[in-house]
Amino acid sequence: MQLHPRFFGRNLRENIVSKLMKDVEGTCSGRHGFVVAITGIENIGKGLIRDGTGFVTFPVKYQCVVFRPFKGEILEAVVTMVNKMGFFAEAGPVQIFVSNHLIPDDMEFQSGDMPNYTTSDGSVKIQKDSEVRLKIIGTRVDATEIFCIGTIKDDFLGVINDPANA
Amino acid sequence: MVTDSPVHSSSSEDFAAFLDVELDSKSSGSSSNAEKAGNEHHSDSVASSSPDEEEAEDDDSELENKRVKRSKVETAEIVEDDRGATSIASLEQNSKASSSKEICTHPGSFGTMCIVCGKMLDEESGVTFGYIHKGLRLGNDEIVRLRNTDIKNLLCHKKLYLILDLDHTLLNSTQLMHMTPDEEYLKSQTDSLQDVSKGSLFMLSFMHMMTKLRPFVRTFLKEASQMFEMYIYTMGDRAYALEMAKLLDPGREYFNAKVISRDDGTQRHQKGLDVVLGQESAVLILDDTENAWMKHKDNLILMERYHFFASSCHQFGFNCKSLSELKSDENESEGALASILKVLRKIHHIFFEESEENLEGRDVRQVLKTVRKDVLEGCKIVFSRVFPTQFPADNHHLWRMAEQLGATCSTELDTSVTHVVSKDAGTEKSRWALKHNKFLVHPGWIEATNYFWQKQPEESFSVNQTKNE
Ligand SMILES: [Mg+2]
Ligand SMILES: [Zn+2]
Repeated sequence: MQLHPRFFGRNLRENIVSKLMKDVEGTCSGRHGFVVAITGIENIGKGLIRDGTGFVTFPVKYQCVVFRPFKGEILEAVVTMVNKMGFFAEAGPVQIFVSNHLIPDDMEFQSGDMPNYTTSDGSVKIQKDSEVRLKIIGTRVDATEIFCIGTIKDDFLGVINDPANA
Repeated sequence: MVTDSPVHSSSSEDFAAFLDVELDSKSSGSSSNAEKAGNEHHSDSVASSSPDEEEAEDDDSELENKRVKRSKVETAEIVEDDRGATSIASLEQNSKASSSKEICTHPGSFGTMCIVCGKMLDEESGVTFGYIHKGLRLGNDEIVRLRNTDIKNLLCHKKLYLILDLDHTLLNSTQLMHMTPDEEYLKSQTDSLQDVSKGSLFMLSFMHMMTKLRPFVRTFLKEASQMFEMYIYTMGDRAYALEMAKLLDPGREYFNAKVISRDDGTQRHQKGLDVVLGQESAVLILDDTENAWMKHKDNLILMERYHFFASSCHQFGFNCKSLSELKSDENESEGALASILKVLRKIHHIFFEESEENLEGRDVRQVLKTVRKDVLEGCKIVFSRVFPTQFPADNHHLWRMAEQLGATCSTELDTSVTHVVSKDAGTEKSRWALKHNKFLVHPGWIEATNYFWQKQPEESFSVNQTKNE
């Protein structure tokens, strides 16, 4: 944690913690996933003065809640875009793509202003803003984003709440 | 275990990270549910606020391997060879071997993962579809497959594809700094950005731009959307393209995820249908720049350029006053877009008019040709001093344009000739035309006819007039 000298003084500890929260919460680490919230500080080590700038770097050990989807995990997500290739969905910061290969064969793509996948009897429909339950089959965690490949071609997967029928 | 590890130097920090991961993987080995634990609480050691990105990458691939191991543990009954547990290197081999068993062709990728099997792909292949979603790529076979299924669906709805250019076709934009004193008045006449659906002149101060929509464009889009699935395809950058799409389609009815900008093309200074998920035999293109579509001229309906702002006129070498400076505009009901809409209707009608049989075998490019050939049907044209003397006449663009419009072109005068095209009323052929009561028209007559897909009134293109030069 690198700090400007103006933060030094009586509130140093609070300043370090609040800067840590600002810098880390909401970001994504390739190793651990999306940092949701910092839950505790384990310890703050000795500061190291940076030559020439007066900035000081403090090693901070902290605990946090992270979100990182894993292969095989079942997630609930909101559909953001539907097209002929499949659909995109979001679960918090996670971007999930479900290709039409992984949508049940009885669901067919319907184009129009509100593109959707619908069963032949019209009973189930996936469109923008639908909530779906899907299974993650691949993940990639970047410095800033998490990409996932999902499937709904399995038992108990698919729409859990259809805004059109709400 | 540690000696097997391919990772990192002896830095204690890295070692700690390695242990961290190893500990994690051991706990998961015992139970597949342990994966869940990773989601809940995790202690993180951060040495400084600038974590080494490379290190993160390394660790990620390590995690990746570990995950392979996990899934192997879960399916231990199936995978007979379990020596992978001792070495990361051999694990990698295993994962490759098992992938070949499943025979996934990896038809496309999202964030470099296969869209079907979820596997991380080493090589990026195929075409990027960034305009649909960041990180999406599709292989050629998959594009063909999607086009084939999509065309069936589309033809069922009696629709074709229409690709629309932005600048000079649907609208005209200018940089604010390029506005002339005569255009200053526009700044007080702009329409509200709150509800753009009714306006046509917009000040986009955050982009230092002013944009004027072409007259009739809203009706055009509404009507065309009944017959076509529409794309925007511009040589502008993505930010500009999306901003223009908002003005043209505030309800996001027409162009949702179908806005292609120069950032998405596969070739510089060229527009291509390879990034369009539509079959070429069902695509029509409206664009004012023919050269952008070298490979798809048969799909193209060339548009007369819409120059509203002075900067646009100057850019194309016109020294006349612009529409904006003259406080004028294109005619709403008889302008370019209204005329072209009629052409589109006609083409659409012909394409779908016969029985429903063999719709997929039809080619809109053929229909386009046929409709174009009707325009000057029955005209016989002789050119006089339009081409340089040594120039092979039948190679001149006006000659070919006239023929594409259905006219017959000739170099000889005879009674069957209907039009003499010349810039000079004094040439021998021009005088012959006047003497024999044939039309004598300026070359602009052919160009205008070509833009409007309708034989233009000859009187407006008489040779003495200089208006069209
Ligand atoms: Mg253009
Ligand atoms: Zn695959």
